[in-house]
Amino acid sequence: MGCETCSGGSCSVDGKGKGLPPGMLEQYKLNSNRSDGYLVWIEVERSGESARVSDVSKEILSKVRSMNNGSRVWGVIFGHSELKPLYKEIHSYGVETLYEVHDRNLTEFHPEEYAVALAQIIVRTEPATVLMGATPRGRELAPRVAAKLDAGLTADCTELSVEDRVLSMTRPAFGGNVLATIQCTSFPQMATVRPGTFPIAEPAEGANGTVIYWQTGGCWLKDIVSSERVRREEEDISRARILVSLGAGVSKDSIPVAESVARKLGGMVSCSRKLVEKGWFPPSRQVGQSGRSVAPDVYLAFGISGSVQHLAGISAAKRIISVNRDPEARIGEVADEIIVGDADAVLRELDKIL
Amino acid sequence: MKFVVAVKQVPDTVLIKVDENGSLIRVGVPSILDPYSEYAVERAVALKEEGDSVIAVSMGPEQAGSALFRCLEIGADEAYLLSDPAFAGADVHATSRTLKAFVEKYVSDAALILCGKQAADGDTAQVPAELAEMLDRDQFCYAVDIERDAGSFIIRQDYGDEIRTCRAPEGSVVSVQEGDVNRPLPSIQRFIDVSSVEIKKLGRLDLGLGTFSVGLKGSRTKIVSSRAVRTERSGRVTDGTDPRAAASFIKGVL
Repeated sequence: MGCETCSGGSCSVDGKGKGLPPGMLEQYKLNSNRSDGYLVWIEVERSGESARVSDVSKEILSKVRSMNNGSRVWGVIFGHSELKPLYKEIHSYGVETLYEVHDRNLTEFHPEEYAVALAQIIVRTEPATVLMGATPRGRELAPRVAAKLDAGLTADCTELSVEDRVLSMTRPAFGGNVLATIQCTSFPQMATVRPGTFPIAEPAEGANGTVIYWQTGGCWLKDIVSSERVRREEEDISRARILVSLGAGVSKDSIPVAESVARKLGGMVSCSRKLVEKGWFPPSRQVGQSGRSVAPDVYLAFGISGSVQHLAGISAAKRIISVNRDPEARIGEVADEIIVGDADAVLRELDKIL
Repeated sequence: MKFVVAVKQVPDTVLIKVDENGSLIRVGVPSILDPYSEYAVERAVALKEEGDSVIAVSMGPEQAGSALFRCLEIGADEAYLLSDPAFAGADVHATSRTLKAFVEKYVSDAALILCGKQAADGDTAQVPAELAEMLDRDQFCYAVDIERDAGSFIIRQDYGDEIRTCRAPEGSVVSVQEGDVNRPLPSIQRFIDVSSVEIKKLGRLDLGLGTFSVGLKGSRTKIVSSRAVRTERSGRVTDGTDPRAAASFIKGVL
């Protein structure tokens, strides 16, 4: 005997289920958010001869692997056939499904079109967390995507932790004086991650995954008149484990001494903005807000007084040792060890005994 | 043409205190116009030709008016202060939304919307791109040079590993990095003129925004905790008058 609410008798309900058609559930939780997993924009460096996965993307994927508890990991990459050799490596860092936005135009960075594609893929995959490197391009792209999705975004995080899908993002704020822990109020949660903050884990050899080609069909491309790749000479100071940093309190003769000390310690030499202005160092060596944010294990500051902008750039340093004649120098507010003395002389002596 | 510059007032100190909610205590802290905002205003003034105007806008408390006066001194023609108790506690999303409402309602015909690359206090550098997306405009970040070129603009951007020159359509959002701007210093007369310019104050209702679009309620992120970093540092002071002893001390603590 049917339920008699329909006349044709075509429904197979036997009356016991109070008229529920087969396959339907008594209750649907349509308002609960099912977002889960991580989606990472994989930045490709193209300044060399061949395209390579940027270190910051590997760092993020390593961090995701260490905090992930069985959730899915997606990657999104932009470009064309030059990306093929990178698939294996990307999978080995834990990306199960890689979306490749396959378009020759998109080998160049076009934030508007990148954001369109990323937003589409995020809507489709429903990740709980979207991460990118806090590189110049990442910090331009992430807010564009966040605005499209009405999502919360935290910039330049130096620590991440996750509990029951909720991501806690920690970042230095107010010139590095304060570490703020921030959570998003909705999914997806978005963050950019400061390069050099997390170690790169060993890749899992032989890991496999899927690659999905994605086409946006859109064409919001910039009218690029010219583009000039600037070769980053040598390495990047933001990746150095030890930095010997010089400020206006040292003489020019100390530069080779500092180079020697840095070499003996396995680190690099960086500087404050004043020395770049004097022309002693290229801008790529400058630490601070208008230069680079660094996160070394040890930051040895010689003759650096510590402007707000400089202190902001070293807030992620694990230890700061300052040598400065002025005991009241602002760098003392953040330094672990403050040595009041002549920076040039101490540097010379340090070179001798190392 | 109209050039809109969105500026921010920031505290002029490293010694910043936070209250128990993790919000910045602004009382008694000297404030200045953010250096990058200043570059942006200078850029806009440098682009100005006969008949053009530069409009500075800032979202902030009543005191932010002083930052806007600084903009006027540099050469802005008009200044708007978006100030309302409801705007307090805004994150990037709520801030961008408020600025978007301002641009759409008051200066929708702006030829360029300029911002500083980032602000010295929050240092998030996210507002320009969110604003561009909300306005559905092109974005050009890290601009080091802007030139006028027959109805559009030629913008040079510095990505660190790439210097890119783009043609930008009218109405684009630009974030300005430092760069050389040849700007005549404001004359004494300018300072006198500026003191009589009225800063127009706009609140939430003027912008046609709902309470859940702005401030803390309109934000998509919340600060769950914050701690001062300096307390973690030991800050041990050592006498370094003898360089040799100091050097071996450093070697010891490395």
